[in-house]
Order: sequence, then structure tokens, then C-alpha cells
Amino acid sequence: MTTTTPPATVTPPSPVTTPTHPIRLTFRGVLKSEFIKLWTLRSTFWCCVIVIVLSVGIGLLLATVQAPARAGVPVNPSPTTAAQQATAVRDATVGTGIGQLVLSVLGVLVISGEYSTGMIRSTFAAEPKRLPTLFAKAIVLGITTFVVGLVTVFGTAAIIFPLLPGIHVHPNWGDSKLELALFGAAGYLAVISLIAFSIGALIRTTAGGIAAAIGLILVAPTILDIVAATTGATWAQNLVAFAPTNAGGKLYAYVSSAPSTTSGVVSLDAHTGGLVLLAWFVVLFVAAAVLLKRRDA
Amino acid sequence: MIEAIGLTKRYGAKTAVDGIDFQVQPGRVTGFLGPNGAGKSTTMRLIVGLDRPTSGTVKLNGKRYVDLKAPLHEVGILLDAKAVHTGRTAYNHLLALAATHGIGRKRVNEVIALTGLESVARKRVGGFSLGMGQRLGMATALLGDPGILILDEPVNGLDPEGVIWVRTLARHLASEGRTVFLSSHLMSEMAQTADQIIVLGRGKIIADAPVGDIIALAAGNAVRVRTPDAARFATLLARPDVTTKITEPDLIVVNGLPAARIGELAAGSQVVLHELTPLAGSLEDAYLALTEDDVEYHAANLDEPTTPMEPVQ
Repeated sequence: MTTTTPPATVTPPSPVTTPTHPIRLTFRGVLKSEFIKLWTLRSTFWCCVIVIVLSVGIGLLLATVQAPARAGVPVNPSPTTAAQQATAVRDATVGTGIGQLVLSVLGVLVISGEYSTGMIRSTFAAEPKRLPTLFAKAIVLGITTFVVGLVTVFGTAAIIFPLLPGIHVHPNWGDSKLELALFGAAGYLAVISLIAFSIGALIRTTAGGIAAAIGLILVAPTILDIVAATTGATWAQNLVAFAPTNAGGKLYAYVSSAPSTTSGVVSLDAHTGGLVLLAWFVVLFVAAAVLLKRRDA
Repeated sequence: MIEAIGLTKRYGAKTAVDGIDFQVQPGRVTGFLGPNGAGKSTTMRLIVGLDRPTSGTVKLNGKRYVDLKAPLHEVGILLDAKAVHTGRTAYNHLLALAATHGIGRKRVNEVIALTGLESVARKRVGGFSLGMGQRLGMATALLGDPGILILDEPVNGLDPEGVIWVRTLARHLASEGRTVFLSSHLMSEMAQTADQIIVLGRGKIIADAPVGDIIALAAGNAVRVRTPDAARFATLLARPDVTTKITEPDLIVVNGLPAARIGELAAGSQVVLHELTPLAGSLEDAYLALTEDDVEYHAANLDEPTTPMEPVQ
């Protein structure tokens, strides 16, 4: 791309304007600024589109291959109501697996993109206390990813639920547990993206931030799973249970038994799992906030 | 007004800024000069709180930058042209920064017009040339209509028109009573723009004086002597406190002897002179003389005269 140099204004007009209201730094202004920043980058739009399209697509694929006519597999002709609802929730939220990865990348980019381009210096020159910027970014990102999660999960549900009676699953929208699980999936996506955002704020580079976020979300639980499966060690099984994906996954599981400890192995439910997920976010976010305040920009 | 007291910044074992004290007064343009690595940019980053001082303080109108109620309105900063997200358009970049202070679209459009960015305002910054980036940096600095302007190398990458524009703007802003603090490596530019010069070398202030005084420091005693008999005359001039340098086959630059005395010596030795010119120092000479021992990164010696000197008018 070539840019032409416009003619220079050699005689500068006075840059003084009389503002109609006092110019002042406010948290509301910082929030608005972060909202503008998020939605004036193409990557945001594309991340959200990819999440919605991929998630709905995967949900649709799963619902379709389950249909007995297509798959030719024997289907339990009379599953319990709870089992039907669990299947419906599972199919509607199957896209969170891929959605969380894309939204993690978005979460890291929100802050690492500013460091890699140098934008962070303009940001902190305008808002030198820094923490309001971190909070505003987290709020804007959290709301955005929650809304994307809602659109994804409820959109998937609306599209695939009419197909489910084909496999003798009759989703019941009136079931508050089903709706809670769908909201839980959206909340899960939002908190996962905030965890990735905190990691991005700690690491400050895009490549490092994405690697660390994906490592925590995808790789670490898988490795722990293998260790737990091969050794059967209690500590490994407990670590698996407390990994953000597994603990947070309880938020959108329709059937969740009460938290329990069976021969030393912890099992979480939606509430405790959600709290563990939040704890991951809070610890990483506080660490990011402390370092943000202390480090040179 | 900007006031630094005992300002120090260390990065590990390296001291970038070493306990400097200075004041930048309103109503005039203060130039900030120094070789690469002298600590100019670090000082500017310390002023606006991007870096945290190891010790010492720097205040703007009596307040730390972080405590300002409206940083963009009180201080406009151009730290480097690349402090912009490359994926965003110039307009959206300015709009996002303006939003923090409740500055409206009208002012965003004003600074775009003021900096001549109208034709590219809706293009993404990633495709900007260095000069366009500088203009956007100036637009960002002017956004809040600030009383203090801190500009790090504002003319870097600008075309001659842009250079004149920045110079005119800096003088105009100072004439309105604003504080203008700018660094530049173009000494001639500084001589035309600045009223006061602060020279920094290896993190310490070497000089802080009106531009005229700084130039006077270098108004040394160099004399240009052109003679067909250069080699012989140079040996005749040799004295313990005199240096001679044959820069061209028939040209000697003499330091340490007044022109009149050189003329007398030439007459006494029957040497034909074609030229005998006392040389005035320029800001550039003054700067080089001042920072001679403080240059962090010396270029390889190319065995050339460092700067062409200007004859006295």
C-alpha cells in the first residue's frame, strides 16, 4: 500500500477549541474507549464470527449424525427425561470446545496487540493509572464474549433442537436446569477468555500469551489426564478436576452430582466448578494487575 | 512547566538517566539534545510515567503525571510514531483515545485537518509511511489541546514541508504560553526552533542554556587557511597549544591561533595565502564539542572532518 503525503498545513490555525463540557479522564470514558478499540479491529469481528459459525456447525453435525436415519445406529427408544435433557444440552454446547480456543486467542490479543504494536504507550499516556484500563478491557471483553457465547449456545439449541426428536430426545425449554446449563456455557466462555486476557497481560507478547493460554486450557489438562490414567495417582486426578476446563465444564453439564470426595478423588458440581474457574481468573487477573502497575510500559 | 529533581533511571546495571535536575518553562520552546543512548527518550518516558524512576521525581505543573485529572488535556505526547495499533484506522485510533477524556468527534476531525491527514484518516495505520505516522503522532499529541507538549523527534521522517510545519507549530504553541519540550537530532532544526537547549550525555545534563549561549560555547578559534604551500605552512604554525589539520591539499584548519597572528606568520615566512577565514561555531559544533566524551555509540572513525564549518558572515 502506498500513501501519498498530503500537503502540509504550513500556517497552523490555533488548535484551541472551547469544549462544551470539561475535558476530564473518567472511567466511563475509558470503558467507551476500550469498547471502540475492541470493535475497530477486524480480528474481533472475525473471532466472533468464527466462534458462532464453527460452534453452530459442529452442533448441527453432531445432531445430524446422531439421527438414526443417517447413522443407522440403534437408539435407546425410551431414554429418561433427564437423559434426554442431558443429550440436548451436550449437543447445544458441543461447540464450546472450539469456541473457547478462539475466544482465548481474542482475550490474549486484546492486550498483547497493544504491547506488540506500541499502542500501550498511547493508552497509558491517556490513562496513566493503568488499572482502570485493565478493568475496562476485562469488562468489555467479558461482556462481548458472554454475548457471543449466548448467541452461540442458544443459536445452536434453536437450530438443532427440532432435529433431536429423531433420536427420541425431546428437549424441554421449560426446564430451568437446561436453561441454566446453556447460560453456564456462555459464562464459561466469558471466564475462559478473561483467563486468557489475564495471561496476555502477564506475558505481553501475542505468541507467548496464546501459547500459555492454550497450554493451560488444552495441553495441561490433557497431559494431567494421561498421567492420571496411567498412574492412577490421586493427586493427578484431583489436578485434572481442578483444571479450568474440567472445573468450568461443570457449569454447562446438565447432570451434575453434588460435590463429593471418593477415595481421595474430588468431584465438583456446577457451583464449586464455577467457583474454581473464577478462582483461576481472579488469581491470574490480580497477578496481571500487580505487574501492570509495577512494570515499565 | 516541567520540573525534574534528581531524576534517575537504571535498567539493571546500566544507568540511563543519572540524577538529572532541569526545568522546562512555559512560553518557549525547549530543545532536548543528546547523542543516541544519552537518555533523552528515557527521560521523556519518565516524565509521563511510562517508566518508573529508580529515584527522583518529575512533576508537571506541580503534579506527578499519574495524578493529573485530564492527562491528555494537560500534556500532549509524541513519544514515537509507532505507538499506534497498526490494525486500526487513524480516525478510530484518535476516536478511542479521545473517548477516555470525553473529547468529541469534532475535535478528532479538527486535529486530522490540522495535521493534514484527511486523505488517509480512514486507512489502517499499518500502511502509513514514517511521515504519516509522525503526523498521526502529532494529531494524538494535540488531541486534548494540551498546555504542555512533549515531542520526541517530531520531525523524524517528515518531508521539508512537514519540518517547517512542526517548527511553525512549535513556535506558535509556545507563543500561546504553552510549554514545548522537543528532542531532535537535527541541530540546525533545533537552532531555528528552540529558545532554550538542554544537552544530555550519558544520562547527565551537560548544558542547559539559551540557544545563543550554547552556540557561543562553540564559537571557538578555528581559522580556515588556504595556501598552495599547505604542508610547509602547517609545520611553521606548529606550537604546543595549536592544532593544524590539512583537510584538503591546499587547506588547513587551524585551532589555537587568531587569524591576525596566522596572517603575520604567513607574511613573515613568505607564504602565499589564498584564504584566511575565522570560523564561527554552529550549534552542531557546540553540540559535538559538548558531547565529545559522552557519545555512547561512536561511529567508526572515517578520518573525515566531522562537520563542515560555516564562515563568519
